[in-house]
Amino acid sequence: MGRGYNTIAFDAARCDGCGDCMTACAGAKTGTQDKTRSRIQIVGDASGGFELALCRQCGDPKCVTVCPAGALTKDGASGVIDWNAAKCVDCLLCTVGCAYAGIALDAGSGHVAKCDMCYESPAGSPACVPACPHGALTYITTSRIYNEVGDWEDLFAPGLAGCQGCNTELLMRHTLRRVGPDTVLATPPGCVPGMGSVGFNGTTGTKIPVFHPLLTNTAAMLAGIKRQYKRVGREVLALAIAGDGGASDVGFQSLSGAAERNEQILFMVVDNEGYMNTGMQRSSCTPYGAWTSTTPVGKGSGGMPSQGKTQDAKNLPLIMVNHRCEYVATASTAYMEDLYDKLDKAIEASKRGFAYLHVYSPCTTGWRFPTDQNMEVARKAVETNFVMLWDYTPGAGLRFTRPVDQPLPVTEYLKAMGRFRHLSPDQISHIQAKVVENLAFVKQMVHRASAPGGET
Amino acid sequence: MNTAALDVPDQAGPAKQKVILCEGNEAAALAVALARPDMVAVYPITPQSSLVEHVAKLIADGRMDADIVDAEGEHSVLSVLQGGALAGARTYTATCGPGLAFMFEPYFRTSGMRLPIVMSIVTRDGITPQSVWGGHQDAMTVREVGWVQLYCETVQEVLDTTVMAFKIAEHHDVMLPVNVCLDGNYLSYGTSRVELPDQAEVDAFLGVKNVNWHVALDPLRPMAVDPLTGGSGGKGPATFVRYRKGQCRGMQNSLRVIEEVHEEWAQRFGRRFAPLVEEYRLDGADYAIMTLGSMSGAAKDAIDEARDAGKRVGLIKLKTFSPFPVEALLKSLAKIQALGVVDRSVGFRWNCGPMYQETMGALYRLGRHVPSMSFIGGLAGADITVGHFHRVIEATEKLLSGPAPTEPVWLNERD
Amino acid sequence: MEQTKYLVVGSSHAALEAVTAIRMHDAEGSLTLVTRDTLLPYSPTVLPYVVSGRSAPGDVFLRDEQFFAANRVDYRRGAALEALHTGRNAAELADGSEIIYEKVLLATGAAPAIPPIPGLDQVKYHVLRTLDDATRLHAAISQSKHAVVLGAGLVGMHAAENLVKAGASVTIVEMAKQLTDGYFDPTAAQMIEKAFVDNGATILTGSRVVKLAPSAVGATLTLENGKTLEADLLLVATGVKPNMDFLGDSGVAHDRGILVGDSMQTSVANVWAAGDCAQAKSFFSDDKVMNSILPDATEQGRIAGMAMAGDPGLKHYPGGVPLNTYHFFGRHAISVGSSRLTEGAEVVTRFDEASGRYLKAIFKDDRLLGIYGVNEFFDGGVMCQLILRRVDLSAVKQRFLANPLAVGRELMSKLWR
Repeated sequence: MGRGYNTIAFDAARCDGCGDCMTACAGAKTGTQDKTRSRIQIVGDASGGFELALCRQCGDPKCVTVCPAGALTKDGASGVIDWNAAKCVDCLLCTVGCAYAGIALDAGSGHVAKCDMCYESPAGSPACVPACPHGALTYITTSRIYNEVGDWEDLFAPGLAGCQGCNTELLMRHTLRRVGPDTVLATPPGCVPGMGSVGFNGTTGTKIPVFHPLLTNTAAMLAGIKRQYKRVGREVLALAIAGDGGASDVGFQSLSGAAERNEQILFMVVDNEGYMNTGMQRSSCTPYGAWTSTTPVGKGSGGMPSQGKTQDAKNLPLIMVNHRCEYVATASTAYMEDLYDKLDKAIEASKRGFAYLHVYSPCTTGWRFPTDQNMEVARKAVETNFVMLWDYTPGAGLRFTRPVDQPLPVTEYLKAMGRFRHLSPDQISHIQAKVVENLAFVKQMVHRASAPGGET
Repeated sequence: MNTAALDVPDQAGPAKQKVILCEGNEAAALAVALARPDMVAVYPITPQSSLVEHVAKLIADGRMDADIVDAEGEHSVLSVLQGGALAGARTYTATCGPGLAFMFEPYFRTSGMRLPIVMSIVTRDGITPQSVWGGHQDAMTVREVGWVQLYCETVQEVLDTTVMAFKIAEHHDVMLPVNVCLDGNYLSYGTSRVELPDQAEVDAFLGVKNVNWHVALDPLRPMAVDPLTGGSGGKGPATFVRYRKGQCRGMQNSLRVIEEVHEEWAQRFGRRFAPLVEEYRLDGADYAIMTLGSMSGAAKDAIDEARDAGKRVGLIKLKTFSPFPVEALLKSLAKIQALGVVDRSVGFRWNCGPMYQETMGALYRLGRHVPSMSFIGGLAGADITVGHFHRVIEATEKLLSGPAPTEPVWLNERD
Repeated sequence: MEQTKYLVVGSSHAALEAVTAIRMHDAEGSLTLVTRDTLLPYSPTVLPYVVSGRSAPGDVFLRDEQFFAANRVDYRRGAALEALHTGRNAAELADGSEIIYEKVLLATGAAPAIPPIPGLDQVKYHVLRTLDDATRLHAAISQSKHAVVLGAGLVGMHAAENLVKAGASVTIVEMAKQLTDGYFDPTAAQMIEKAFVDNGATILTGSRVVKLAPSAVGATLTLENGKTLEADLLLVATGVKPNMDFLGDSGVAHDRGILVGDSMQTSVANVWAAGDCAQAKSFFSDDKVMNSILPDATEQGRIAGMAMAGDPGLKHYPGGVPLNTYHFFGRHAISVGSSRLTEGAEVVTRFDEASGRYLKAIFKDDRLLGIYGVNEFFDGGVMCQLILRRVDLSAVKQRFLANPLAVGRELMSKLWR
């Protein structure tokens, strides 16, 4: 299996062309302030926007193949295409081979120059990225997940009966790859067994022990399993992948009880904001205004139209924080690195006590958006602060892991799906106000935001 | 606690049994300790509370090595034990009344998963009209979901049956959960002399524990537990039917196993209890009354007095109520011409006691008409006295010559 | 009889790309590579730099043995293809042995074309196609006082510059009316010529050697106009011809090179050809031409390899687009695309004498056909894409001409980044 590599991502919408990235690159690579010598090049367009020219560190690099001198090589470990000054003959053929302007003549040196991701720098990260004052550049290190996880065994069956574009399948596969085979998996009624985790009629969907708990007793059953293995001295991870309905509504008592007893469980909630498996009914995690099959849209009576759910969502992860669990975190599959960090911490925490991971998981079928838009919807939820990514430990308290300082208006999220199509301006105002209030509330809980190293 | 005798030197005798004085709840707790469960989950409820307090104290004092889970409710109590059992634990709990009602969802499921969990029901009436007093309404209400239910008559029988329950539940031909029913108030708090079996003897009696050979959640034996079955498509309902049929077979097997286990108990410990159906002075009787649980003591006294008075009456007492021991009962019913059945709960649908209703089904198999009637007594902790049983005997005797009433007789209606 | 699924003949750019492409799709099929070269693979394009001393002859190899081992290639050096017996899918090697192939790629490259000048066979002369040629020429340069270079293509011009820098008096003789004909336009060629003349070289364009004879220093050359030149070092760099003598009666159609179709297949089943030995279509016409440049060799080799392995991701060869770069006396020249002026073509030039920056662009229907620059750096690869994608430049043309580097990048970022 091939490797994945780190990469520099550019968000043109955030770029104002200030050129700080180029100054930083020129400084790091040439010791000058000459932006023309930067290996990352931002160019303005006629309409006031900005475009990027930067080596893509191609997997099948044309610059390497057209070099007659063997001066360019792709480094298998870093993925960076290396330029060897001793071998280069300055023929410039690489510049005609590259379709992306990723390698160009540096007039200052008379040689070609290209981005090497600063991979040999002590910081181990590119100089341009932190120099950007607008967050237009991001150093994406998600490749670590691909490289590590790709070699781990997929413990779910290759074919599952999920909806096309289902986010939960992604989550299931990643989670099980990470936790590995010494796990007992509880998948209470909902989408997870619905797509076949426990199988049908004698077949099984996983390669690890798996079962349907009741919708109501997931945490309690897992507690019994974990305790018995602990009693006989065996290290077995007790894992739940549960829906939001079963966790926040009818299963909440056993969840709360297990958390209070600090049972050594990793409880993951896949929050698709409703009872999606049974046909998209409302749960207490369904947000205000959302259409569901039990909060439908209609003309109502007495001049009061029915306009979706009339209450705000229950904030289950914050409730879990108030159990003072060993670990509580929110996560999103649109931010896999963040999710993996939290998964790692949750696994460790579950060896000491109760670990709770709440994953916001858009539902293409129930939320009414195209099947290829799952990541985009998940990302928009975070970028608008509709959901917030944070974690909590008793030692460090609560802290944002991906703070969004300049959130997009919540309409950017709402308009991405059909379940909010009917919203009135007043309802949208309510949701936006709720976003602001939620943010303020969580911020109050970030006691040690200024000491991010203080976690356990 | 009335367990001081536990600390005195062993009594003489082959069975090496200590004699103590204790209430039924404590007897149950001591039996649980003897059975060495891995896991006990508890939630307090009257009149069960002192039972789990005794268990907790035994563990706290180091006289019992079990993981105790103070769960947040009965629903979780049984769920924790299900998890434990699936991981290989011998498990125990106790409940009653509203607690049993609350745990009904996992309760229903325990038998379906064939988990040999032992649970005492310290029987309680209610739920509404509100009552914290004894009565069989709770256990009777859940009689149709595949648990074995054994009713005890005495504190000694509570102790002995509680130990035997583990052996019955874990028998490979059974693999079903077992309720040991002890009457709230009368057995739970009733204090009496009890012989306490020797731990080593109990260990030998119960043998090596293996509770999850058939279904497990174990990374060393990965399997999917309780996959979706049935439906009109795919493989159809065959899998589901196979499971259900297996449960019924396990229930029927348990009738034989209950007898075998009681026989072994008698031989090891010298105490013999009728495993399914007890006959008391039935030989030579023209008619009989039928009882369940602790009321049977008073009933036996009434029978003795009636016999002394020349009445040809005997007693049939059920110990095993679920599965209903039809064949064994038929042997007793074959001896009589009329029957009065005393229930400590009601069957709302048939306007009679539940045991009466079940017995009518057995009577049909007898192939001959035996006039019978239903008595309902002892609700909400009421005492069913010898006097009450004389009324029962008189009313039953009339069935030999007169018509049978269709209405039940409510024994404590004017008490 | 030895058998292999894939047989690749040759070991330079086209052959190496084919190996990689085959292995991308077929990790297991047996693959044999035979080459007449005894050295590890290297590029003919690097040889002028070996001549100049810029590149050490031991440090120019494109792959090592480990590459072939890792790709499970049976790699055989010093194994020249003697004859191709297509009737029985057999390749006969110089030592008489045969390899039965399922599919064969001919990537045999080209050899110097030696002009039929009377007396040339009587004198000592250099050519530059192998690493040995380069090493010999490198050694000879420092000894030379009077050097003559026949041919003003890029190979000849590179060598001439090295000779000038080494202190020799250098004369370049070229039949065409300009230097670097076919690579750069007359204006650029004049700039190149001026640079050479300024550095003391003599340029004889439109000139032809008609006779050679041995002399005391080396050779005496007689030109068409009767003048004579004395040379102690003579380099013949008058072009190349494909290596395809082995075709014999194989039935593989050939013209100036081996004729190939859209996926580099030849006229005979199971036989492909790529690189300098192949004659493939041009992007600008349906004519089949010799696209003897390095980028095209890699592209053709990759396409041939994908086709041989049955890779479903194969896209047809779009046709060759000339791409050339040239460094001379500290200046650089880049040419991308066609220099042919078809009907309706629009030519825009800009020249700044002070800075020596020259730009020429050819459009048709506001689509770029070709672009040329001297000391005007632009991203040749981006320009090539603008041509291949036939991008409509009407909205940006003036900006593009003013700054092809920035506007090219802007278009790239918008259209295909």
